[in-house]
Amino acid sequence: MDKIQSIFRTVLKHDDLILTENLSANDVQGWDSLSHMLLISEIESALNIKFKLKDLNKMKQVGDLVDIVLSKLS
Amino acid sequence: MLFNSLPFFIFFVVVFFLYYFVFKEKTKSQNVLLLVANYFFYAWVDWRLLPLLIVSTLIFYGLGIAIFNTNNEKRKSLFCTLGVVFGLGVLGYFKYVNFFITSLSDLFESLGLHTNWHTFKILVPIGISFYTFRLLSYVLDIHREECEPTRNFVAFATYVAFFPCILSGPIDRPNKLIPQIETKRIFNYSLATDGLRQILWGLFKKMVIADNCAGVVDRIWENYTDHSGSTLALGAILCSIQVYADFSGYTDMAIGIGKLLGFRLTKNFNYPFFSKNIADYWKKWHISLTSWLTDYVFTPLNFTFRKLKKWGVILAVLVNFTLVGLWHGANWNFVAFGVFHGLLYIPLILSGVLSKEVKIETGKWGLPQLKDFCQMLLTFFLVVIGGIIFKSGSIAEAWHFVARLFSFPFFSIPVGLPRVTLYASVFSVVLIIVEWIGRHNDYTLERIPIKSGLLRLVLYAIIVGTIIVYGNKGGAFIYFQF
Repeated sequence: MDKIQSIFRTVLKHDDLILTENLSANDVQGWDSLSHMLLISEIESALNIKFKLKDLNKMKQVGDLVDIVLSKLS
Repeated sequence: MLFNSLPFFIFFVVVFFLYYFVFKEKTKSQNVLLLVANYFFYAWVDWRLLPLLIVSTLIFYGLGIAIFNTNNEKRKSLFCTLGVVFGLGVLGYFKYVNFFITSLSDLFESLGLHTNWHTFKILVPIGISFYTFRLLSYVLDIHREECEPTRNFVAFATYVAFFPCILSGPIDRPNKLIPQIETKRIFNYSLATDGLRQILWGLFKKMVIADNCAGVVDRIWENYTDHSGSTLALGAILCSIQVYADFSGYTDMAIGIGKLLGFRLTKNFNYPFFSKNIADYWKKWHISLTSWLTDYVFTPLNFTFRKLKKWGVILAVLVNFTLVGLWHGANWNFVAFGVFHGLLYIPLILSGVLSKEVKIETGKWGLPQLKDFCQMLLTFFLVVIGGIIFKSGSIAEAWHFVARLFSFPFFSIPVGLPRVTLYASVFSVVLIIVEWIGRHNDYTLERIPIKSGLLRLVLYAIIVGTIIVYGNKGGAFIYFQF
């Protein structure tokens, strides 16, 4: 979660952003479909995982993203 | 059957009477009535086109259930792919096969290779782009687990062929419209009056603005080599206003008719002329198509190209907008129209403007700040240039039109223009002003800032009177051909 938070802060340029499970794109300025793709790409590189397009559609909140990342790491 | 025609009025009065008085509160019967009405409406245009619509509906109904019922991921993908291939195949055959034959033939001829290919005589099913996109989103959404298939065939077939939107949209998503069709509907007075207001505004845009502008625009385009730059500029501006008034007028009528039957259809326009950049414009223009393409074309492409970062976005945007162009028609000027808009995204993506929220600041008298006004004006200028490419019969014609538009002497008093030019121009200005005032509403007349009921009635009477006096019973809606 710390790693993901640091990626979010860098990509979205929010130094004090705190990620919570229920946080969604509507709650954070600058988190749109384009920056979301950058987030996905950075998370893939940092954690050495690969998302599928289907995963992308399931990421409605940060909690969903973390669940998918955990399932890929396990 | 145009919405602004007597046959449609009679058709709708009969449907409305049966719907609310004979089949009152009987959802199943109402839906059967709607389905019969949908097919009657569609067959009225050309009955020969109906079998394709029914067969396509049956195939996608079955595929939706097949995707959902199987637990095997490969089979799910196979059924979904079958749907996509069938939908795009049918669309490609009816709409694009002659375009590809002539384009390839021209290419070979230019390389010195003689071809003797013939084009086919194909009857293009009206509204095929609109209903195919509905069918495709149905199987794609089920495959993505974003909606479940309906077992109710009548509800599904009504969703596909819903008469207010089968010819020109909006392209409603299955999880928005099918649940409404399956739910009990009773007459809702406030929704119905809201619908009537929206139909009135749609009629005004279509008959007073679009159909009057059409007379001027067509006349200017016919003899554009005889006119000065200023007249061509007027023609190009009125052309963009015509397309907007025509299509958004149709959409307002479609949504209004939907409301009279108890449905809330997807909003398709959000005052696109008040956009600060071209990306902002496309978020407000033909929203149901752009959001469809964003979900099913742009996002998958952007995901595929994600390692290329901003260049991946640019690539995805260019492919997406080439398809936007092609969607409008099988002609190279439409492709150029799409690519032109796609190219305008590049500076926005590279500068990061694309991700910034767009807000229009207003100052005294509710007018936009000078900087915002200049940005809106620049965007409008780009839209008008795109409109020239859209309207012209070929890329060469568009090029000559633009070249002549910017040539000297720019200004001269227009000659040979019809008398309608004056009030088409005046009503276009009125449209822009009224839309600016009502830009926070779902549609312009939604909330009229007049408290007195009597004065509101006077306003409606003025609009009706204007339609009767100045309304032009012109041709079909521009987007019917797409």
